[in-house]
Amino acid sequence: MAAHVTSQVLSVERTAYVQRFLRLTRISALRSLKVRYRGSALGVLWSFGNPVMMTVVYTTLFGTAFARYYDGSVTRYLLSVFVALVIVTFFMSTTSEALITVVANGTILNKIAVPPAVFPVSSVAANLYQQLLTTFPVVLVVAIVVVHDPLRVMLVPVVLLGLALLTTGFALVLSAMYVFFRDLSYLWGIVGFIFWLTSPMFYPAEVVPDRIRFWFNINPLAQQISAIREVTLAHGSIRFGLIGISLASGVLAFAIGVWLFRATRRDFMDLI
Amino acid sequence: MTLPAIDLRDVTLIRRTQQELHYDIKRTLLNLTRGLRRNVKRHTVIDSLNVRIAHGEKVGIIGPNGSGKSTLLKLIAGVLTPTEGVVEVEGSLAPLIEIGVGFDPELNLVDNILYYGVLLGHEEAVVRAHVESILEFAELVEIRDQPTKTLSSGMSARLGFAIATEFRPDILLLDEVLAVGDERFRRKCGARIERFWDAHSTIVLVSHDLAHIARTCERVVWLDEGKARFDGDASTAVKLYLDSVPESKSFRSGEDLIAMAAASENGELLIRARSAEPEAKIFLVQDGHRRKIGADEWYGWSGFSSYEVIMVDEAIIEQIPERKTDAEGAAEEDAVT
Repeated sequence: MAAHVTSQVLSVERTAYVQRFLRLTRISALRSLKVRYRGSALGVLWSFGNPVMMTVVYTTLFGTAFARYYDGSVTRYLLSVFVALVIVTFFMSTTSEALITVVANGTILNKIAVPPAVFPVSSVAANLYQQLLTTFPVVLVVAIVVVHDPLRVMLVPVVLLGLALLTTGFALVLSAMYVFFRDLSYLWGIVGFIFWLTSPMFYPAEVVPDRIRFWFNINPLAQQISAIREVTLAHGSIRFGLIGISLASGVLAFAIGVWLFRATRRDFMDLI
Repeated sequence: MTLPAIDLRDVTLIRRTQQELHYDIKRTLLNLTRGLRRNVKRHTVIDSLNVRIAHGEKVGIIGPNGSGKSTLLKLIAGVLTPTEGVVEVEGSLAPLIEIGVGFDPELNLVDNILYYGVLLGHEEAVVRAHVESILEFAELVEIRDQPTKTLSSGMSARLGFAIATEFRPDILLLDEVLAVGDERFRRKCGARIERFWDAHSTIVLVSHDLAHIARTCERVVWLDEGKARFDGDASTAVKLYLDSVPESKSFRSGEDLIAMAAASENGELLIRARSAEPEAKIFLVQDGHRRKIGADEWYGWSGFSSYEVIMVDEAIIEQIPERKTDAEGAAEEDAVT
């Protein structure tokens, strides 16, 4: 009986904690969105303009050369580059923004009892919100127009959920590690560039030699790109394996992020 | 038996020191190749402390710098979790630890109030209902839509005070900063704090102003190296403390402050003038001289918890020779030649 009461109290406490966490995340995400749009009313357009411009550049440069890998269609190449760029730019800009959040909010964390994970998570939330208004609907439209397959279209949000989990996991790890290693932003810039180059965004995965293909697949973004292309551009029976792997890698990264953030929390609270 | 408002049982807190803050990946790798292992330095800030505070009690915390006074408040506030032992708090809680420093400079006043209010644990709708009254108290109603970066440091301190004291908490934690702004506004702050004293709020006050503590608190805990040296009647505690520490009288002369700076870990001491002017006057005492710290520099520092500021009368500060900034010194030399 007593144990039962205790577990009930705990579950009430847990619900209250989750509610507070969400409330704090919301207000903190709103803060960064407000600040972002104060600077320029073009803020929304910019997050849209970035992948669009890149797509145009890549298509102009490589469209004709690589068209044969895409049923001879430059349009298919263009769409293929675009959906991949949406994934990679979201991941890169969010993680490099989230990297500094724990340190940047050090004064607040030193004064008010706020779960520190609020700051990296709200950074992901703000970026997610921005993409939900801009690029994500376009990806959905691409899927609707290209694949004519309601199941594929319905799987688009599932793939994006995996991406959000992956990004949150990296955001948690990076923001915690930045407390200990203040030069992490430089290193992350380099790693990010390697991710960028090794993601089969603007070249077909087929041009990568087989013996190093394995190393390319270690890049967590490679699975995300395969999955998003599977649901927006591919034909034939759905390769659920690709979607499963991308979702699983998202869940894994998220779990590692939560674990590492918790494990180092006590130590980094002493250093911010 | 009623539950205490604050209950600390066998609380020990061991923290990493910030000396190794300079570490980065590059240096860590370099040290690893040289076979140097990084030794994490830890030290005990709070040492098996037992404090139980009843609802409505007003408790002062005194002790020398680095004795763990502010850390104790952070433990009660839940900012830090104890390494060992249990901290239990019953009732809503408002921290007033150097508030006003964490505002987002780009947001306007109203948004910052909403942001801070929610961070402090209130629901957004509740905070929204209090916005007017907060702006009114801080006397900043006309500039509500301006970004907070346009506020002077005095103004932002006023806003911080207004937010932190707007919501009547059951438990109020005060860290030295009792009143901000000019003389008139300080009186207004004082009156508001008085209301908490009159109400049945539980108050924990950390201060170097022993006279104020003896006057306003019923009970005083005297901390020394994280242990409670005395816990009981306020005037007895203050008397015992003053008798025990010869340095505590040292605030009376500039020379003693210089000696205190020299004796400190890094040879520096931060002092703040007890002044009626809205702008906080903060000085760094080092090598027998004082140097005025600008607001920008100060905000950079105040994030580091290891810096404690001592409140000193302006007359005593005047006794410490002032070091000219490099530019001023050069200008003077030019004038001579």
